[in-house]
Amino acid sequence: MTKSSKTLFVDTATKSVLLALVIDGVVTDLVCQEGQNNHSVTILPLLDDLLKRQNIALRDLTELIVGIGPGSYTGVRIGVSIAKMIGYLNDIPVRTVSSLALLASSASAGTVVGFIDARRENAFMACYDITDDVMTERVADTLENVEAFQTRIPKPYQIVSAGIPDVLKILRSHLTFPVPDIHALVPNYLQVTEAEHNKKASA
Amino acid sequence: MYVLGVESSCDETSVAVVKDGREVLSNVVLSQIDIHKEYGGVVPEIASREHVKGVSMVFDQAIKQAGLRYEDIGLVAVTNGPGLIGSLLIGVNAAKVVAMNYGIPLIGVHHIAGHIYANNLERPIEFPCLALVVSGGHTELDLMNGHFDFVKLGETQDDAVGEAYDKIGRVLDLPYPGGPVVDKLSAIGKDSYHFPRPMIDSPDYNFSFSGLKSHVINLHHNMTQRNEPIIKEDFCRSFQEAVTDVLCQKTKRAAHEYAVKQVIVAGGVAANRGLRAKMALTITDIPVYFPAMKYCTDNAAMIAAAGYFKFAKTGVADDLFLNGDSRLALN
Ligand SMILES: [Zn+2]
Repeated sequence: MTKSSKTLFVDTATKSVLLALVIDGVVTDLVCQEGQNNHSVTILPLLDDLLKRQNIALRDLTELIVGIGPGSYTGVRIGVSIAKMIGYLNDIPVRTVSSLALLASSASAGTVVGFIDARRENAFMACYDITDDVMTERVADTLENVEAFQTRIPKPYQIVSAGIPDVLKILRSHLTFPVPDIHALVPNYLQVTEAEHNKKASA
Repeated sequence: MYVLGVESSCDETSVAVVKDGREVLSNVVLSQIDIHKEYGGVVPEIASREHVKGVSMVFDQAIKQAGLRYEDIGLVAVTNGPGLIGSLLIGVNAAKVVAMNYGIPLIGVHHIAGHIYANNLERPIEFPCLALVVSGGHTELDLMNGHFDFVKLGETQDDAVGEAYDKIGRVLDLPYPGGPVVDKLSAIGKDSYHFPRPMIDSPDYNFSFSGLKSHVINLHHNMTQRNEPIIKEDFCRSFQEAVTDVLCQKTKRAAHEYAVKQVIVAGGVAANRGLRAKMALTITDIPVYFPAMKYCTDNAAMIAAAGYFKFAKTGVADDLFLNGDSRLALN
């Protein structure tokens, strides 16, 4: 008997905690739960429940795909820390995906913008073309003024800031990237900290 | 029992393995001090980013240096507060993954309890015991009548001692962190300014350092205005004498009032040589202990030691809902 593939998706960069388990190409379990800045509390109990429902252990996973942002700094760090630990402890391959691609994957077709508000008329955004249930990236992850971004993408487009990700669509697309060294994995913040920015400006 | 300790409350990512609350098998500390030095203090967002960058590697080094496998670990103890929330969450979630992955009990540990139990790594704590906790975030006197039985006798009403030290260091244009440098310069300076000893005679066990800090800053400012020469060593010595007089006198009075068997000093400022020397001269009839220098600053060995005794006393583990709490209370 060949060992079946068990891929776990984890993303905490948006308002929702996402956990999805794909066994041999089938989404066997998916949790997408909105939270109030409490992903740190909920994600592992949710994961524990999911694994128990599916009667598997973390060590049974064959692959982990983690959303590395951009998005909430605190949020994305939780998912990435957890992914690093699960990947490291069980020596399983980890791949990264843009949290914006996960958001956009919930749309069925067309030009789709994954969107996470970043205040002051700025947002984390990325644009994808979705056809035949496959996504291709048109504009990579960016943090910029929303209006300026909109002039760069063809109309009509759809903005997606919430929804249940279609993880199979992500798997069909070329939007995940292997992590060569799990210990070196960090979130994609898309911007330096304010302290670093101010220091550079004053230098 | 082997306890895996995890600490990430401020700017060190640390994981340790400690046997039976006493024997340190490994204590890996990834310090960010060189990064925050550039900013004259800890930048919370940078601290969080560094924790997530280093976290899994620190775990790996700690378990390997201990010569163990995760399956050998009987308890995972993690600092769940107080501290910087973004920093705490990295350690808490990483610890939860280990506990979940191997089915190991998990316990949240108060950071100050950790500092206190750093003393247990040297010799078993005997009760009743008086603990003076002095660090960048805390200044308090705690009475312990047994393991994990803390009664707070008093605490600072404003600045923590370590905070005041760092501020004086900045005013005197000393490198960050100021505390150790002020201590070093003190050794060659004179107490020529006779700064006030705030609350030294107050009947309670509370402290206050912001008035003293302002006093030092104002004098420095006025002397600079008048172009008077600033002798940094003397400023350091005068400040340190004032601070340590207050700490030693109040600790001595509490030690006698509660007839403790030992006094232990804990926290980053426990590394201060001036405090160590004066405490030994002030309290001569009760043994006074300090942790080894390497266990004064934040580390996970102290968290593992504290976790061991907390679990031994309560027998209650935390579940996967454990969260970081930036303002967690000791009891
Ligand atoms: Zn500390």
